[in-house]
Amino acid sequence: MSAQVYIFRIQRNMPGQVGTVQSHWQEYSVEAEPNTTILTLLEVIKGQQDGSLTFRQSCRSAICGSCAISISGRTRLACKTHVGAVARDGVVEIAPQKNQPILRDLAIDIRPFFARVHGIKPYLQEGPEKAGKVTSTAYDQVNHVTQCIMCACCYSECTMAEVNPDYIGPAALAKAFRFVSDPREGKKTERLRELSEPNGIWSCTRCTMCVDVCPKEVAPMEAIVKLRTRGLDKGYGDSAAAKHALAFHEDIVKSGQLNEFTLMMRTLGIFGSMKETAMALHLAKKGKIPSPFPHSIQGVEELRKIYASLERTPVDVETKAKQAVPE
Amino acid sequence: MSLEFAYYPGCAAKQIQREADWAARAVCQQLGIRLNDMPRASCCGAVSLRETKPAFAMAVAARILSEAEAMGRDLVTICNTCLQTLSQANYRLQNEPELLEKINAVLAEGGVRPYQGKIQVRHLLWVITEQVDPHLLRSKITRPLKGMRIASFLGCHSVRPVEIYAHSANEENTPHLDQLISIMGGVPVNYTGKDRCCGFHVMLSDKEEVHAMAAKNCLSAKDAGAQIMITPCTLCDMIMGSSQELAAKTVQRTIDLPEMNFAQLLGLAMGLTKSQLGISRLHVDPVPVLSKIGLA
Repeated sequence: MSAQVYIFRIQRNMPGQVGTVQSHWQEYSVEAEPNTTILTLLEVIKGQQDGSLTFRQSCRSAICGSCAISISGRTRLACKTHVGAVARDGVVEIAPQKNQPILRDLAIDIRPFFARVHGIKPYLQEGPEKAGKVTSTAYDQVNHVTQCIMCACCYSECTMAEVNPDYIGPAALAKAFRFVSDPREGKKTERLRELSEPNGIWSCTRCTMCVDVCPKEVAPMEAIVKLRTRGLDKGYGDSAAAKHALAFHEDIVKSGQLNEFTLMMRTLGIFGSMKETAMALHLAKKGKIPSPFPHSIQGVEELRKIYASLERTPVDVETKAKQAVPE
Repeated sequence: MSLEFAYYPGCAAKQIQREADWAARAVCQQLGIRLNDMPRASCCGAVSLRETKPAFAMAVAARILSEAEAMGRDLVTICNTCLQTLSQANYRLQNEPELLEKINAVLAEGGVRPYQGKIQVRHLLWVITEQVDPHLLRSKITRPLKGMRIASFLGCHSVRPVEIYAHSANEENTPHLDQLISIMGGVPVNYTGKDRCCGFHVMLSDKEEVHAMAAKNCLSAKDAGAQIMITPCTLCDMIMGSSQELAAKTVQRTIDLPEMNFAQLLGLAMGLTKSQLGISRLHVDPVPVLSKIGLA
């Protein structure tokens, strides 16, 4: 591997009048080997070319989470990202994290993010559920979420946070899963009730973005999926999204196919559906009203037997986190 | 080499988005790809079933995979969520022998043939861009798109999580749709919303947010100069196309970006008729844009 010149196209942000930020793009060129980290090169730029460039950094070892920024369109840790892996025709585009208030240049105000994390009460609580025995396998389920370093890469890329600032977000929900799963936690059920409320677990779009951008393999969406399962098991299935999810196994057992005709009614209820008449009429304009009686698949009785068997004798298929390896 | 698959269109293509199924069958006929129906296959359950009944979800997926395996064919689909759901199950069943054994025991309770983990789950788009002879594909493009600027909307579930899609290890460079656009004679447009979410899976529960997402992503394509948008997913089609006008109303903007399934645009570039491809079922009329290049 040999050194080459890279162009760093960096978004510069300066606070303007209260609540506003003035942005422009500035280019710097640096010579580097492809396996040099972005963080090293930001330091080179700051040290040798422009001392005014502002960014956060601390550990250089992908453990503190300070240097998460948008690099070539994705939020990543600058200290863990090699320039050669992200340059497009020799250009690297650098910007602050998304979905967060910008302070200056690449530094964002991390407080709103941590407010969400604190909102899920990230500590063990005493409560009606007695502390259980901590077995050697008790943490198999949560090892992946305990790897979280709170870098907020997932929140920056979260497609729901982009349009709903009240959404709790992937990192905080993954953290919540860690406490719901802790044998010592006294308020597991209470947590699940709270998490099932609006802007909680049911607002995740399932876009899987957080799973891919996480630099620590936390897989927040998998934690959200498991929280939903546990919430439903406790009977918190009243939200529209939960009812929608529950419709799937009903339909599969009934005919093998989703009944899109009745799906809206079952999700929103009769009054909720009436409010959606505009949507139904809009679809009807193009003849897109599904049949109320979808054909049954062949062998639907096989699915009924399988379902009944699993209701009698449950089988655990949840992913068990890989053994947590300290990095 | 003959290409033959077990064809799993997904619930949306069997009902609301039927035109995507018509287009898929029509282009496959042109390309000599044989699609065999799967009469026993159920709904895949999507992520929802994995949430409500995780073990049942795994068994439902295994039963579908087993049917394709019994047909001796890889499975091909045109729905991103079916692709992700079945690929995720397949990835686990192929890599976790104990799980496969457990699930086969469950299948046996229903009298279903055990799954042996021998098939692959493929998207029709991948088949067309990776497996069809490129000369054949090019020779079928009889009505090229003459530099039409096209936004590819990837749809989350055909690119993420990378873990289960070994062949596209770098999700940011998933090239299939843009490759196809170039082959059809169009110009792929780069825009920020390309790999974002259409919001389909929370469309009934978080409607305003979904409309905001759809509007934002469509507008970012439009602002980047796109004349038309294509997706590889019947669920994205339902939001980015069928619900686009509703989304536009929510954000009080005009969007008017024609959107269709990739197979429909491919069919048009192959000279197939609009009625064969269900073009009249699209909510945002593409005819004005298509007529500019003599395609309508």
